[in-house]
Amino acid sequence: MLFNTIDFVLFLPLVIILYYMIPHKYRWIMLLVASYYFYMSWKVEYVFLIVLSTLIDYISGIQMAKLPDKKSRRPWLILSLLTNLGLLFAFKYFNFVGANVNLLFQNFNIFHEVPLMNVLLPVGISFYTFQTLSYSIDVYYGKQKAEKHLGYFALYVSFFPQLVAGPIERFSRLTPQLKEKHNFSYANLANGLRLILYGLFIKMVIADNLSGIVDQVYTAPEKFASSDILTALIFYSFQIYSDFYGYSVIAIGSALIMGIHIMDNFKTPYLAKNISEFWQRWHISLSTWFRDYLYFPLGGNRVAKQRWILNILAVFIISGFWHGANWTFIIWGSLFGVIYLIEYLINKSFSLSKEYKAYSFGHLFLALKTFVLVTLIWVFFRSQSFNEAIDMFALLFNVNRVTEATLVIPLSTWIFLIVFVVSDILLYNTRFDTWIGRFPMLFRWTMYSILIFSIIAFAGVENFPFIYFQF
Amino acid sequence: MLSVLLVGMNYLYKAFFLEKDIQKYSDVINLVRAIPNDADIVYIGESSNITFRSDDLDKRPISAFIADHYPNLKVYDITKPASHAGIYKVLLENIPDSSNVSTVIVTLNLRSFNAQWIHSKLETALQKSLVLLKPNPPLYNRFLLSFKAYDIKSDKERDRQVQREWEKEEFDVPFDFQFSNVEEWDNYVAKEGVNNPDGSRNQELTELACHYIKGYAFQIDTVNNPRIKDFNRIIQLTKERGWNLVFNLLAENTERAKELVGDDLLYFIQGNRELLIGYYTHKGITVVDNVDDVENDLFVDQNWTTEHYAEKGRKTIAGNVADSLKKYYPDHYVDIDYKTFVQTVFFNDCDQRTIWGQMQTITDEEAYSGKSSSKTGKGNDYSITFEYPLKIIPDSLKNEISIHMKVYRNSLSDNGKLVIQAQGEHTDYYWNGFELKEQVRKANSWEDYHYTFSIPDNIKQADLIKIYVYNPSGENVFVDDFHIEFE
Repeated sequence: MLFNTIDFVLFLPLVIILYYMIPHKYRWIMLLVASYYFYMSWKVEYVFLIVLSTLIDYISGIQMAKLPDKKSRRPWLILSLLTNLGLLFAFKYFNFVGANVNLLFQNFNIFHEVPLMNVLLPVGISFYTFQTLSYSIDVYYGKQKAEKHLGYFALYVSFFPQLVAGPIERFSRLTPQLKEKHNFSYANLANGLRLILYGLFIKMVIADNLSGIVDQVYTAPEKFASSDILTALIFYSFQIYSDFYGYSVIAIGSALIMGIHIMDNFKTPYLAKNISEFWQRWHISLSTWFRDYLYFPLGGNRVAKQRWILNILAVFIISGFWHGANWTFIIWGSLFGVIYLIEYLINKSFSLSKEYKAYSFGHLFLALKTFVLVTLIWVFFRSQSFNEAIDMFALLFNVNRVTEATLVIPLSTWIFLIVFVVSDILLYNTRFDTWIGRFPMLFRWTMYSILIFSIIAFAGVENFPFIYFQF
Repeated sequence: MLSVLLVGMNYLYKAFFLEKDIQKYSDVINLVRAIPNDADIVYIGESSNITFRSDDLDKRPISAFIADHYPNLKVYDITKPASHAGIYKVLLENIPDSSNVSTVIVTLNLRSFNAQWIHSKLETALQKSLVLLKPNPPLYNRFLLSFKAYDIKSDKERDRQVQREWEKEEFDVPFDFQFSNVEEWDNYVAKEGVNNPDGSRNQELTELACHYIKGYAFQIDTVNNPRIKDFNRIIQLTKERGWNLVFNLLAENTERAKELVGDDLLYFIQGNRELLIGYYTHKGITVVDNVDDVENDLFVDQNWTTEHYAEKGRKTIAGNVADSLKKYYPDHYVDIDYKTFVQTVFFNDCDQRTIWGQMQTITDEEAYSGKSSSKTGKGNDYSITFEYPLKIIPDSLKNEISIHMKVYRNSLSDNGKLVIQAQGEHTDYYWNGFELKEQVRKANSWEDYHYTFSIPDNIKQADLIKIYVYNPSGENVFVDDFHIEFE
């Protein structure tokens, strides 16, 4: 079930009504059923994968809690890791590895083919496996007590607002909130609805309208002038941002109505002054996951310089691979790693004064630089293959080809894009619900009306699922 | 407060955005809008109506052949390729109450009841195109469109639905039959293959046989088949609107089905045919049965299952339909023997219904009627071109040619001409051009152009006459509603 469909428009109010009608002690049952239904509406069979992951991690957690030290807990952690990463490997990476092995065999004239699987990638598998893995690892390190209530644990893994595309929540943040009794709060309802409204606006009006234009260029880039390709690249930067940000905001808003605070996943990333800051503002729940469960265990920055460089590269490459089983994602992650390191070195050598960075002009220049770099790196993320990405760059920089720009961009798309950019600047280090809440009622309702009308009258009508669903 | 806002928004949307959205997402409505209020009969169907074979002398659609039988009635068509009764129903609903229509002829395509068609990958786009046309407040329809409140599925999901039906729908036949479903039958034929006379496997025919099995091996369930429900809704609608209703059960290539797969497949075709005729006749609907009426060699597509017929096939079906309309219009019917019948009136509204030469000049930049016109100018010297074997028209009917059209000139500096050209094995090449500017003296507006041309005796036996607008100036001249009559 997608947030931008009529199904969800009917589903969410029903769940919320039931949530506040049902006595607190039974709410988890209703939420669990609703979450499984939410997932099964996409493909019924794959709910068993969530159930399997839930059961294994639940049992592993309980068993680890009984054991005195890390060494004795390790087998249970390995079981949890093997289960979750095994599921990920089987459904997401097997074909990629198999295809590459086959290619390698061909090069060495080995006439054996690894058979590939014809399976659909289960929606959200990368998200819920990482979410539940964080629990197992925390229990292993003794940072987290094992959850004894299977129902609440299952709900932690499958809580519908953030099940299929995050934010990837930590057990210690989400589960206490799921257990806590929340009385109906008008403030939560208002703020939740504000977020849902804003999320729908940026997904349906911004992302979905840009999507058609970007797809047009990526489908046949050779037909377009360099200026058109540049436009498509910039549009893709805004498309993926508004698509994923929109999803996250709707997820946060949906949970907030039930009194549950999900972590913010984006904080105006395109105003980041460098790549390091970009990743502190983009997909925050994933960045912090990799920081806590990969970067720190590898030694973080408390290691020799060369090792630290390797750690940084490893984190970015694995993060790229997490996004998709394709060399393009690996390159995408690697490029972020390399630029991160280059910026680190430049900053060390030519340290910009704090005053300069604080100036609006200085900030604007650095943000623009980061935006340009990120936009170019997105080419690998969006392309289906390495060659396609290289072709895009070749066509972008070969300005002597087609000279006439032919890409048709409706005026409304430009207007909404400008509105989005302005709103993003206004929301720098704040959130839409907080921001709009400061204004008088007349202004608020004017804004709501504009958003509602825009969502209905200007939403893109093609079925563009959220981009991060594929991960 | 929200209600007041929504009413206001609905007004705003209807006033400023609705029409633009309709043209963008639901331009299928233009097919309905093109039907004038004084139409008597509407023929609604898919590509079977308009598809012709390249060697057809008369490339007109089935609906035009029906009109030949009722020269005093106005017969119009709504043709939407790859569509079905679910689409027809919404289009028919959009015929305005003020319309004079008294009879609706609806294409009843046997294959549209099968799994492939019901779960076709085109379905998402088709369903999407109807959302804005539903009888709801416009803003509510746009809300439904924005939130994907229609049958929206991915191609993979559609494929899975088809596969599931092929595997799960079990045949119910009163004789011993070795296959219990389409999947088994298809696999068997694919494995065994169709052989050439020398015993070798003919892969092309094998694939075609499998395709026939997938297309026809099904049994219509009148309770659950969604197409039955669609046709029933059409019946309901026509009752409400007081229209006569005729179902035109299209011809299928039963000869080929028998040749490739055998009598077992014919059993399914005939079973479904009898079921549909019985089911709808029982409901008081006139069903025209064409299933066996078109011979194999009159099917345009010999290597696929389609209901596309060559001229003679289209005329046969039109004759059957026209016959069935006698009971509604007994005084208007004219018996036509196409062996002696000669068409003398031709019309093209440039909306792709009638195929003439130079159809690549059709543009939606300007239009007098409908949505399109033919554009001449830079890169396009010739407009859509009427081509006809003049020699087949009896001398008594070809003294003059009366030509009417609508012309739109972007500037007054073009040198556009109406051209009449004739040629033939026994005819000297003839070319004559008549300046448009003699009658069309205004720029940037649609103006009438009428010319009566006396046919010289020396071209009356020409193999081919061509009529078109020639405009080599580079300035744009648009032409629409091209009407040609031999008198």
